[in-house]
Amino acid sequence: MSDVENAHVEIMTPDDMVDDAVKKRLGIGFWIAVGWLGVLVATVAFAPFLPFGDPDKLAAGPPRTGPSLDNWFGTDALGRDVFARTVYGARVSLVVGFIAIAFGMVVGGTLGMVAGYFRGRVDQVISFMFFTLLSFPGLILALLITSTFDRTLRTVSLTLGVLAVAPVGRLARAATLVFAEREFVQAARVIGAKHFRIMTRELLPVVLIPMAALALLGMGVAIVAEGGLAFLQLSVEDISWGVIINDGRGIRDLQENPHVALMPIGVMFLTILALNFAGDRVREYFDVRETAF
Amino acid sequence: MAQVSAANTQLLVRDLTVRFPTTRGTVQAVNGVTFDLAKGASLGIVGESGSGKSVTAKTLMNLLPRTAEVSGDVIFEGEDVRRLALQGREHFWGVKMTMVFQDPMTSLNPVKKCGEQIAETLRYHLKRDKKTALAEAEDLLAQVGIPEPGKRVNQYPHELSGGLRQRVVIAMALACEPSLLIADEPTTAVDVTVQKHLLDLLDKLREDRGMSMILITHDLGVARGRCDEIAVMYAGRLVERSAPETLFSDSRHPYTDALLRSIPRIEQPSHTRLEPIPGRPPELINPPEQCAYAPRCRFAQADCLESIPDISGVAGMHEFACFHPANTDRGREALASNLASGRTATGLEISSAGASS
Amino acid sequence: MAGSGHAPLREDLEVLLTVRDLEVEFPVGKGAVVHAVSGISFDVAEGETLGIVGESGCGKSTVAKSIIRLNDIKGGTVDYQGNDLAQLEGEDLRSLRPDLQMIFQDPISSLNPRRKIRQVISEGLAVWGDEKGSWSQSRIEELMLSVGIDPKFGDRRPHQFSGGQCQRIGIARALALDPKVLICDEPVSALDVSVQAQVLNLLEDMKKRYGLTLLFISHDLSVVKNVSDRIIVMYLGKACEIGNANELYENPRHPYTRALLAAIPEPAPTVDVSEGDISGELPSPINPPVGCRFNTRCSHATDVCFTDEPEMQRVGDSDHYLACHHPVAVSINGQQAV
Repeated sequence: MSDVENAHVEIMTPDDMVDDAVKKRLGIGFWIAVGWLGVLVATVAFAPFLPFGDPDKLAAGPPRTGPSLDNWFGTDALGRDVFARTVYGARVSLVVGFIAIAFGMVVGGTLGMVAGYFRGRVDQVISFMFFTLLSFPGLILALLITSTFDRTLRTVSLTLGVLAVAPVGRLARAATLVFAEREFVQAARVIGAKHFRIMTRELLPVVLIPMAALALLGMGVAIVAEGGLAFLQLSVEDISWGVIINDGRGIRDLQENPHVALMPIGVMFLTILALNFAGDRVREYFDVRETAF
Repeated sequence: MAQVSAANTQLLVRDLTVRFPTTRGTVQAVNGVTFDLAKGASLGIVGESGSGKSVTAKTLMNLLPRTAEVSGDVIFEGEDVRRLALQGREHFWGVKMTMVFQDPMTSLNPVKKCGEQIAETLRYHLKRDKKTALAEAEDLLAQVGIPEPGKRVNQYPHELSGGLRQRVVIAMALACEPSLLIADEPTTAVDVTVQKHLLDLLDKLREDRGMSMILITHDLGVARGRCDEIAVMYAGRLVERSAPETLFSDSRHPYTDALLRSIPRIEQPSHTRLEPIPGRPPELINPPEQCAYAPRCRFAQADCLESIPDISGVAGMHEFACFHPANTDRGREALASNLASGRTATGLEISSAGASS
Repeated sequence: MAGSGHAPLREDLEVLLTVRDLEVEFPVGKGAVVHAVSGISFDVAEGETLGIVGESGCGKSTVAKSIIRLNDIKGGTVDYQGNDLAQLEGEDLRSLRPDLQMIFQDPISSLNPRRKIRQVISEGLAVWGDEKGSWSQSRIEELMLSVGIDPKFGDRRPHQFSGGQCQRIGIARALALDPKVLICDEPVSALDVSVQAQVLNLLEDMKKRYGLTLLFISHDLSVVKNVSDRIIVMYLGKACEIGNANELYENPRHPYTRALLAAIPEPAPTVDVSEGDISGELPSPINPPVGCRFNTRCSHATDVCFTDEPEMQRVGDSDHYLACHHPVAVSINGQQAV
């Protein structure tokens, strides 16, 4: 019988097999998507320093002409350069998308995690809030706010942000409910970690991943929603993708100069596609296999 | 153990090898597994996770994914099942050869009544009409010892306890009067008292119907009382095969030997120091050309690292795959020299402290 | 099987933890409750290992989780060094947490997949400060070495380790706080057979090295016997038999204990398990049987078993307590004697 002090405790090494299997790749598609978003953001950020011209300059070219070397995306009915307008419009669209989702993540994520972690009465109250928000027609809420208050970038962004609270919050709640049952959360309680520490150190890192994936998707939705508002002329009083598309929606434009609407629509489509794709890959990449064999 | 002659052979497995290609290389899940099963006999295949026992069973049942590369022969009642014609296939698995899984819910449809599910098997394979099939289903539930079978046929799986569900699955497997039943860890998810009842039931059914059985388990104790023969698997290979009593009293393969020593036994006084097996099961991707157990083996010598020992011995009596078998002079010699130097040929440090028992 | 009464509680020992009349219920909707634990009393002496054995649904894990307050307790007391853990709330409860640590059943689920194992192990020290910073690396490395994990892999995440290794990491995490009581809830049942002995031996070593008191919960009778000094057999939220591990397995008196021992696939030749037949299904814990809870499955049951709940009573003068109206006679050398 071996003595405790002399007991030979075997020192082990991790499982190399599992180690290698985890070296997953984001894949070329992800990098193309990120590349597109990167180019877009860079272009938008440095637009004033780039030779794109003034988006509001009338008669930058002959009105209603198709894409050419001078006007890459052609010109609209007033002869404005559609490319310059698309670039400047992206500023509003992206900022609105980003702020809306950031607001949704912070507010919805916090509420959702609190609901999923504490459950009981707290959960009932917060879940009821989410249900109310979800069952209230989003467009009408947005119409109400933008027509009652102002149509600044901030108001529009926060309006869309409020609409993002419930979907993000419900996801955060569901993920928290699942993970809060896990033994590692119980272990943290047994150790004596306080609720705030458990939520930030144990739950946030695991809940953040599905939330991040949803955020990328949600940004796309917010951009489209802003376009919808612009279509109703209830969005920011500035150029956004929605505004440009709205400019090109007249029957005559659609028949004779479809590029006025189609070009920004194409850019918007690619952007949302890139966001969705990147979100999906991020989720998959971080979806850590939890079973070692 | 009766010698297997052609006439009463139920199943002949020859050199069965299964490979799974992965991005990191080929997983050698099963390596040259060979065994016979006489009609009406029961074979226990014992091993840990990753030993290849379940893959072997799935290969027999043709349940492997398409990516699996299988070679070797599986001869069932004189017929090569791996080359069955499409027509023969349809009513082979699930009829002549059936399987019971660890988790009964994997075999049961949660939204169908138990009776209907059994009846469906009968209607599909044996072309019974609906009424006869339902009556037979009730009869089968009675045969597997389910109380109030008339009531149970109309219940959904979630309304039954784990033990009863597994009985329903067994009833379903028996519906078409199979001649071979493969039970893959049938009692791992249930409690000991339920386990006993289920194993008793399988024993009884096997005797009543003259059915053969392959019982796959990680628990040597379960296989002991229920099988005519036990095959121990490690890292995709059969390492030892014999009658249960021989295996327990006179094991040859160091893995079997170590496994038997490492398991706490009910008759030992409390706080008896256990003798654990060092390390953990090996990788199955690109394993070195050596005995797979050598890195954990107290008997390992230089020759264990040079080639893979073949399984040999008297077929049907006691076979093992080891150059320095435990409980033999050769093995004792190897162990003594390893103890003297404090380490085995693979560099595993050993001391006599753990050896005494 | 009832198992109420305080007979098994001891006074002459250095008792560290005393559980009295513990009751735990879980609501299952529509006003129904699961009676998970219905009045169980036992104590654990310092340095002792108490095993709790029983089948699924007997409430053994609930007892463990109630003691460290992962469940709400409906009734009874859990006395730990003069504090009633059942009544403590908030900061009072939290301040006692380091003393009672737990090892969980699923080694992989019990580690946060997104954290490095060094962070996992040092979490307790991070929560409790431990003279800020002094714990840092040397203490963590010492812990990792003592459970057999090479400290140079501290920056890896749990999924890069095998199940047995994850369980070692879980043990290191629990030991970091220098606990007095370690509650092990089925710590080896998720592990491969060849790895179980490693972890069981490690627990025994750690118990000696750190002077721990162990509460060991398992459905595996052999495993429980191997680690325990004293064992409680539970059935449907009640204790049926309590006693010294060796004594209990040699002379099981309760029909249910006998049934459990008889059901082991490899029954021990030395244990008399006759009259250990058991039939039928586990009754619902929502409507447990009146009287002795084992009455629906017991071959010895008489009228009294359906009306009166048996009290825990001492068997002879040994450390052996039993709650049964008709205990099975002890057989001595094959002779039946009472």
